[in-house]
Order: sequence, then structure tokens, then C-alpha cells
Amino acid sequence: MNELSRAQIRDLMAQVLGNQGKVLPGDDAAELREIGFRSLDFSELALRVEDETGEELNFDAPGLRRIATVGDVLDFLVDLQRQQ
Amino acid sequence: MSEHAEPQPVPPSSVVLVSGGSRGLGLAIVADLLDRGVRVAAFARTVTPELDKLAAEHPDRLHAGPVDVTDLAAAQAFVRDAEVRLGPIDGLVNNAAIGQDSLHVHTATGDIARIIETNLTAPLQLTRLLVRRMLGQGRRGRIVNITSICAQRGFPGLVAYSATKGGMDAATRSLARELGGRMLVNAVAPGFFASEMSAVLGRTQLDQIVRRTPSGHLTEPAEVVPVVRMLLREQTNINGQVIVVDGAASV
Repeated sequence: MNELSRAQIRDLMAQVLGNQGKVLPGDDAAELREIGFRSLDFSELALRVEDETGEELNFDAPGLRRIATVGDVLDFLVDLQRQQ
Repeated sequence: MSEHAEPQPVPPSSVVLVSGGSRGLGLAIVADLLDRGVRVAAFARTVTPELDKLAAEHPDRLHAGPVDVTDLAAAQAFVRDAEVRLGPIDGLVNNAAIGQDSLHVHTATGDIARIIETNLTAPLQLTRLLVRRMLGQGRRGRIVNITSICAQRGFPGLVAYSATKGGMDAATRSLARELGGRMLVNAVAPGFFASEMSAVLGRTQLDQIVRRTPSGHLTEPAEVVPVVRMLLREQTNINGQVIVVDGAASV
């Protein structure tokens, strides 16, 4: 599978936020609530990753509820690619 | 041909098949019916120790076994065995279902198919099987479909699940019409339970539902059981209805 790196996913995340006029901070500890990254933004990001890799990323909702920071988002998607 | 009801009331069910009867609401329905002297056939994918215990306590009135509701041949065999042991089945509770805990866009297509097969196709086929047996032998009977408030209100993460429950609500109405009063067909739609399926919603959403519920608490299986019992056992003219049990959270 053609996996995206953590840095590549970060770039896509910046694009998702950028399209809404928001800025992705450089700090992985930044809170999603503070930067306005919502659950549907996460879905958009996951679908962008799918577009790049050509692989569907399916996952259950409960795992998403533990995601609170930028780093959590990146970790989740890096791990998810490896699980598919 | 006339589609009007036949004049005689549908008698209370005396032998009831409960799908998904090994835990949660299904198990509570089985235990309640046994307490009321009803003979019960109950299957589930796995027979739990709790259902085994009931079978040991009621050897003459409970027929239990492992059946996957999507395995129609196994269900047919179970029904035949149950009727040999308990007598003709004249009540059905379609309770077996699987849940969902994923946003639609992130749900695998295979999982969507599995949810539809288990929660919609399988109960329709089980209903067909039982109705054919009852009609063919000139019996009257009662059917209760366990659906969900999800069929009437939207909740994220439950798209396919909600579609199946809405499908069963719709089937309930059409079947009640189709069976022309020879059988009573109704659905019971619980709100979210504090356990099981509701793990899908997360604490925040559950707290919101509780705040919006005039009765101040999430539905418990014990609060749904009497409604199912009434539809199976009491003399009413309720037919083709979906009865919501959610403390008015959805009102």
C-alpha cells in the first residue's frame, strides 16, 4: 500500500483548514477545539488521504472521540494506514 | 377479495419465537414471557450462560439454540424443532440485530451489506417463514418487531442501522395491512439504552439525550419488556403501529 508519511498528512490537514481560512499551527499539541478542526474536517482529511493512496480507510467512531490534538489526528491516520 | 379484518380477535400468543434472545432486551423478553407461563423458542448466534440457565429452569417451556439469524436454513430447522417440542408457534419477536458505530463515509461497504442482511433481510425472511407456517395451518398470531428511535430521528454514526430500522417500521405497517387482521403486527422502538448500542453515541451525546428527556433517564430494557408483552398477550386492537419507548426524548 502507498502510505502517506506523517508530514504529508500534515500538509493535507493544513489544506483542509486553509480552505476554511484557518491556519494549522506547527505544534502537534495544539487542541483541535482551539483551531476549529471538527469531526467532518477529520472525515475530509481521511478522504483526501484515501485519494492519495487509493485505499479506503474505514474505522469506527469511538476511536475518533479520543482524538483531541493535531498530533492525535496524525497518529491516528498514520496507524490506520498500516492497519488496512 | 375483501381486505377487511376477520371478526374474531387474534388470541394471545402462547408459543413465541424470540430472535436474538441471549442477552440484553431479547433475554429480558424471554425471561418475562417465561414468567408469564408462555412457551418460548429463543435463538441467538451464541447461547449465553444466562439463556442456558433459563433453559435449565424451564426445560418444558424454553427451547434455545445457537442460530445466526442470517442463516435461513438453520432458522427453519430451529423452528421445526421448536414446534415439535413446544407446539405451533403463534408469536414472533424480531429482536436480533447488529449495531453500527461508524460514520457512513468511513463504513466499509461490506459492513453496510452485513448490517442490512442482519437487521432487515433476515427478519423479513424469518417473518415470511413464520407467517407461511401460521397461515398454512390456519393459525392466528402476533408479530413484534424491535426497531429503534433511530428510524425516526437522526443520529450520527448510525446511517445503515437507522435505514434498516426504518425499513422494519415500514414493513410493520404493510404487513399489518397485508395480513388482514389475521395477525397483529407491531413494532416497538426503544430510545437509546444506557448500555450496548448506546456505547456508539459517546458520553456527551448520551448526556444530551438525558437532558432532553422529560422522564430524566435513558430507556432500560425492563421498561420495554411490558410493551412487548402487551402486544403479544393483551387483547387490544393495536395493529400496524410503532410504539416509541423513550421517555419523550424524541417528542
